[in-house]
Amino acid sequence: MADKLNQPMVYQIRVKGHLGSQWTDWFGGMAITLEDNGDTLLTGPVVDQAALHGLLKKVRDLGMPLISAIRVKPG
Amino acid sequence: MPAPILATKLYIPPPRPEAVPRPRLTERLDEGSNRRLTLVCAPAGFGKTTLVGEWLADCDHPAAWLSLDRGDSDPARFLTYLVAALQTIEAGVGEGILVALRSPRPPPTEAIMTALLNEIITVEDDFILVLDDYHVIDSKSVGDALAFLLEHLPPQMHLVAATREDPNLPLARLRVRGQLTELRAADLRFTPSEAAEFLNRVMGLDLSEEDVAALEARTEGWIAGLQLAAISMRGHEDTTAFIESFTGGHHFVLDYLLEEVLDQQPEYIQTFLLRTSILDSLCGSLCDAVLPDLSASGQETLEHLEHANLFIVPLDEERHWYRYHHLFADLLRQRQSVAASTENDENSVAELHKRASIWHEENGLVVEAFRHAAAADDVERAARLVEGGGTPLIFRGAAAPVLDWLESLPTAAMDAMPSLWMTYATSLFFDGQIMGVELKLKAAEAALKNAEPDDENRDIIGRIAAMRATLAIIPHDVEAIIAQSRRALEYLRPDNLPVRTATTFTLGYAYQLRGDRAAARRAYTEVLSFGDSDPMYTIAATLSLGQIQEMDNELSQAARTYERVVRLAGDPPWAIASEAHIGLARIHYQWNDLDTAEHHGQQCLHLTQHMESTDTIASYAVFLARLKLAQRDAPAATAVLDETEAFVREHGFEHRLPDIAAAQVLTLLHRGNVSDAARKIAETHEIPVSQARIHLAEDDPSAALAALDPLRQQIEASNWEDERLRVMVLQALARHAHGEKDEALRVLGDALAMAEPGGFIRIFVDEGIPMARLLSEAASHGIMPDYTAKLLAVFEAEAHKREGESHLPPASSAQPLVEPLSQRELEVLRLIAQGLSNREIGERLFLALDTVKGHNRRIFGKLSVQRRTEAVAKARSLNILPRQN
Repeated sequence: MADKLNQPMVYQIRVKGHLGSQWTDWFGGMAITLEDNGDTLLTGPVVDQAALHGLLKKVRDLGMPLISAIRVKPG
Repeated sequence: MPAPILATKLYIPPPRPEAVPRPRLTERLDEGSNRRLTLVCAPAGFGKTTLVGEWLADCDHPAAWLSLDRGDSDPARFLTYLVAALQTIEAGVGEGILVALRSPRPPPTEAIMTALLNEIITVEDDFILVLDDYHVIDSKSVGDALAFLLEHLPPQMHLVAATREDPNLPLARLRVRGQLTELRAADLRFTPSEAAEFLNRVMGLDLSEEDVAALEARTEGWIAGLQLAAISMRGHEDTTAFIESFTGGHHFVLDYLLEEVLDQQPEYIQTFLLRTSILDSLCGSLCDAVLPDLSASGQETLEHLEHANLFIVPLDEERHWYRYHHLFADLLRQRQSVAASTENDENSVAELHKRASIWHEENGLVVEAFRHAAAADDVERAARLVEGGGTPLIFRGAAAPVLDWLESLPTAAMDAMPSLWMTYATSLFFDGQIMGVELKLKAAEAALKNAEPDDENRDIIGRIAAMRATLAIIPHDVEAIIAQSRRALEYLRPDNLPVRTATTFTLGYAYQLRGDRAAARRAYTEVLSFGDSDPMYTIAATLSLGQIQEMDNELSQAARTYERVVRLAGDPPWAIASEAHIGLARIHYQWNDLDTAEHHGQQCLHLTQHMESTDTIASYAVFLARLKLAQRDAPAATAVLDETEAFVREHGFEHRLPDIAAAQVLTLLHRGNVSDAARKIAETHEIPVSQARIHLAEDDPSAALAALDPLRQQIEASNWEDERLRVMVLQALARHAHGEKDEALRVLGDALAMAEPGGFIRIFVDEGIPMARLLSEAASHGIMPDYTAKLLAVFEAEAHKREGESHLPPASSAQPLVEPLSQRELEVLRLIAQGLSNREIGERLFLALDTVKGHNRRIFGKLSVQRRTEAVAKARSLNILPRQN
């Protein structure tokens, strides 16, 4: 199980507020989808746990309210 | 040279003249200062720094401030700044700690924290230490250091941590004990009335209650959001329309507002904000360097930004250094990275970083210069800066950024520049990643295969060997250390003093491990000849030299060397001074100056008592046991040795058990307990000297000699002078007990000749009556008369102390007196003849003045004279003193 956690995985991070598409690069190439309820979904491959934590730190440092972070099946 | 301390990191942000007063929060901060820790914990933009800064401005207690940055995850750098911050409260605090931290191999963090705590305790006034931006710390050791500090926090100190996430500290325990005050996002956000105060009074808007409520709801009281909204509105004619559009959408608050704010700025300000966002801190001349074609000067622009309230924070009184509010900087950087993709090469992000790197280098800020060179992807420049012009950056608290950069470099780039592989290996080693080092060394060697054998590349070969020597210390592979160190010294450039110093010290250590004291002494002397480039190596080499002098029986030289260590270790002293103090304690003990010995022993104990990771305590226990025996307090000696034996076993210092066992044997024999216990200890630890002692105590001198004779041969082959003297003393006693008087006197004579230059006393006196008898024999045979007389005088003083009178036989039975002079009286008489005053005689013989006068009266009585001069003349005429020619 631990090995699997170190495989590249697709994650979906949900934050409150709409982010412009120009933030894609800032979040390491994550796709940005705006939800009708005002949330933004950042979706994309995350190399490993360290990268995931780095991503969450970026969300934190923007002061964006983090709602959830889940691993989704690739494809 | 360590990196300079940046005073801007210690600057307490001053309160803004126009600020929203927040008594509900400052009162809680006031209350909290009676507990250990206050945690101000909320996401970016909640006004944490501003709140704490404003509280301190009105606070009664002095405060120290430390603005942390990513680099402070390096424990040495963190601790350096921690001490620097504390020094703003009390000058000079932790000065010795700063010295130790500058060493390539700083002592364990816990030891440093202990030393620091001991100094904080001496601060008189209650004070506050603020650690701002604690969330940037990503290091277990820094967290552990802080947890240790909190656990042992002196009562006069209060800690405040402002952070975006809960720190890795034992918060639950602090909460339960009522030692924690917390201000969190829910507390920090603006209430509707604070929002109204801010928007209308501070920002000068004139908003209706509904508008304020709408903004407060949209931003949820998030201060950064409200502030950007207010700045935007100042540029809008129709604030209500703005509010409708802003509150109506789902846009990320800052994203939306920043766009608004930027759009309202003149173009040159927009350019300035975007391009300078790559800088962690800004000053006018740096901005000029990064933006050479800007119309206004950097300083003017910075001051304009401050007046316009554009999220810029002054970092000093002089308005020289500034930084952007972290949140604002992140937003600007993101926009800059988008904008830069359309820029020409002149203003690409890489070009901006390169200019920033050049400016920082020219201004002596090497770590920042390196960061920008790495960000500019300028490998050559970064590689040069990493070397730091003598002190590599990894020793300047920049291990993490250097390692990050090296990890990101392609293999080909390092193969083209083999010194980078070496830098990689060294950085890994000093970061504690020992396992990865050899792999990088091999890569360096492979890269060097095709390189020119010039000075530069020979130096790298030397550094590879030096690193391998260091690696060999861990498994105590003495031969490998010596071979690699020698190879290193052969190849290293003559002017590569830092590595030469370290390698020569390592070589000395290896020789010492091998028991080759002469070679170790040469190595340590050489380290000292390199000068004072690294104070830690100077102290360590001086200490090691002192230990070797002590082992070579050069007690006076060793004492002077140890005293130098104590001076070098500073005041308050660094813990390494404990080793010097215990050396001084042993030497003064040997000189029978028990008070001074005890004083140094206590100094040693004082410096080690909070340190868990030291075996100095074993040396101290052995010393103290001997002192207690000399003071005829054998039970105390037993107690201290038993206690230390347990400590040593518990902490994995088993290699010290033989020393302790030897002292235990001595103590048991002293108590007359020649039991199986003593024999067992000696057998278990294979201590032939202790074994011989037990044989002597059992009245079996042949067995003692059987143990001692081969031992002496072995020791003499190794040139171990201290062991040799110890064995010879016992040999002399054993021969004497065996009836070989002449041989005993011969051995004793040799031992005395060896011991006299060092002024040894206790090594003889501790052997008690048998030695006193043997020395009396020696005296009557005219063997080293001055020295034997001096030793016998000590014996007599001891006997006096014990029973009030002497049982010793007189040194010579040839005195033509009815009542012969005692040994001590003879000694006093000799000193009178040398013209010494009574006080000087007392000092020389460790006697009270009255005791000297008492001796004088008895001497005068026995010689039937009235005065000192008459006594000397009479003694000469009677051949008690040699006649003068």
